[in-house]
Amino acid sequence: MDRTRWFFHPILVFIFSIAALGLSLFLYIYWYMEVSTGLESIIRRFNLDSGQVLESETWVVILVLSILVAIILLGIFTIFVYNQKTLQLYRLQNNFINSFTHELKTPVTSMRLFLETLLKHDLSREDQHKYIRYMILDIGRLSDNINRILDLARLESKSYKANFAVTDPVKAIRRFVESNQPVFRDLDILIKPPARDDSRCQIDLSLFDMLLMNIFTNAVKYNKSETPRIEISFEIGTRRFHIRFKDNGIGLEKIEIKKIFRKFYQVGRADDMSAKGSGLGLHLVQNITRIHRGRMKAESPGRKQGTTFILSLPLCRQRSALS
Amino acid sequence: MTNKDKRHILIIEDEEHIAEGLKLNLALQGYDVTIAGDGISGLQKWKSGKPDLIILDIMLPGIDGLSVLQNIRLEDERLPILILSAKGTPDDRVKGLACGVDDYLAKPFNLEELLLRVDRLLTRVSWNHSDHGSREPGKLSQYTFGTNQIDFEAGRARCNAGEIQLTEQEIKLLKLFITNSGKPMSRSKLLEIGWGYAGGMTTRTVDNFIVRLRKYFEPDPKKPIYFKSRRSVGYVFNPNPSEK
Repeated sequence: MDRTRWFFHPILVFIFSIAALGLSLFLYIYWYMEVSTGLESIIRRFNLDSGQVLESETWVVILVLSILVAIILLGIFTIFVYNQKTLQLYRLQNNFINSFTHELKTPVTSMRLFLETLLKHDLSREDQHKYIRYMILDIGRLSDNINRILDLARLESKSYKANFAVTDPVKAIRRFVESNQPVFRDLDILIKPPARDDSRCQIDLSLFDMLLMNIFTNAVKYNKSETPRIEISFEIGTRRFHIRFKDNGIGLEKIEIKKIFRKFYQVGRADDMSAKGSGLGLHLVQNITRIHRGRMKAESPGRKQGTTFILSLPLCRQRSALS
Repeated sequence: MTNKDKRHILIIEDEEHIAEGLKLNLALQGYDVTIAGDGISGLQKWKSGKPDLIILDIMLPGIDGLSVLQNIRLEDERLPILILSAKGTPDDRVKGLACGVDDYLAKPFNLEELLLRVDRLLTRVSWNHSDHGSREPGKLSQYTFGTNQIDFEAGRARCNAGEIQLTEQEIKLLKLFITNSGKPMSRSKLLEIGWGYAGGMTTRTVDNFIVRLRKYFEPDPKKPIYFKSRRSVGYVFNPNPSEK
């Protein structure tokens, strides 16, 4: 109820002010015409010879008034648009605070709990180690979250300088999978190599790793099947190189697909607080794709049927020269 | 608290580390502790384990903590429940207290404080036990609206359809409507609180029950005055339709 009031209020105000403005313009002109016709009749009665001057003046006045009204209208419209944007950002930020509070407070809570426990009780050496390992995991989680916010701030600034190198994306993915094997122990990763493996793209490796990390963790995080799986296949177009990441996760509904790349967007209902995570991962992915001049798309046949992310990167033109 | 014969505490918390840390501490205090990782299994373990106290998180997968709380309150008004949540603003606390929680602690919390509060809650319950002897859950025993009279203890109702025996689920749903009278409730909320299902499942169940309740209590089931539908919202119960 509250939300609808918030939403309709500015629109009503906007419509009323435009109506008032239009009416006032009409009345200005109408009254002006009345006055000038009155003047004209006086002039005629007294046989004065200045009718031509009056007529040209009329049109100048109408023109000036119309321009002024148009400027005011434009002003109202701009304010209206900005107001709407602010509201939208406010809602996003609220969503962000809601979900990120949880992400930041949980590891802190856990660490505090274990530190206080260790302070209070003399636990066996074995137990101590176990809980200290928990705390190290919590610190990892916390620093991941912090890094994600900082990375995004860095990437979103227009002045970000990417460190591009001409690389084979297939090799980059292989290398990423190998070096992160322990992280994705539970994830079944299947890479279907392309027919030709001499493709070259401009890739910033550290950013590309960040992108892969987000897609892979999503494949695990939003997955309810017994063995989470991700299938990576490639397709070489004439100018673009397409990479398909297909998972067997919870899938997406049509209306969600458009929104998932938005900053702070979370799949899940905000009111039951089932949404967890920062809502930044895919936004980060999209930003990285943009820096690479690529395109990112998501496809899903529906709930519980997995999601496919398709990344297309521009191919380097001097491919033949390099290979 | 030396004479406690192993009080049983249920922790409903989806963060494994926190749940385990709590369990460790409470076990060291001499309590018997069970952990449930989400709302649905929490409700199951509450029913099967009959705990003396529940420590509840709000942000849970499946059913959220507040729905779990409301579901429990429909059957048991006295069971001490303590919410432990990352949401600590006064608004969140009020929401929790309005749903019938006994104590609210925001994360990150002080361990000593939590343990003392848990101890206090359990002590108070033991007083109530000795005061009243038996422990009959629920304060709602009789309710009258219109020409209908419901006796919750006997599970009977005298209504337009005559004298009838209510099923357990019907009683639950009636209690839910009565405690929220005047407030529109969505089908999925009704399902979550009344049945303990995760929302988003088939919600025809709710509609079927409403049809049944209308048949029992409405003077004209085709033109309901007590159990009204709200388009695109759900249902609202209004015990005094003439006052509107």
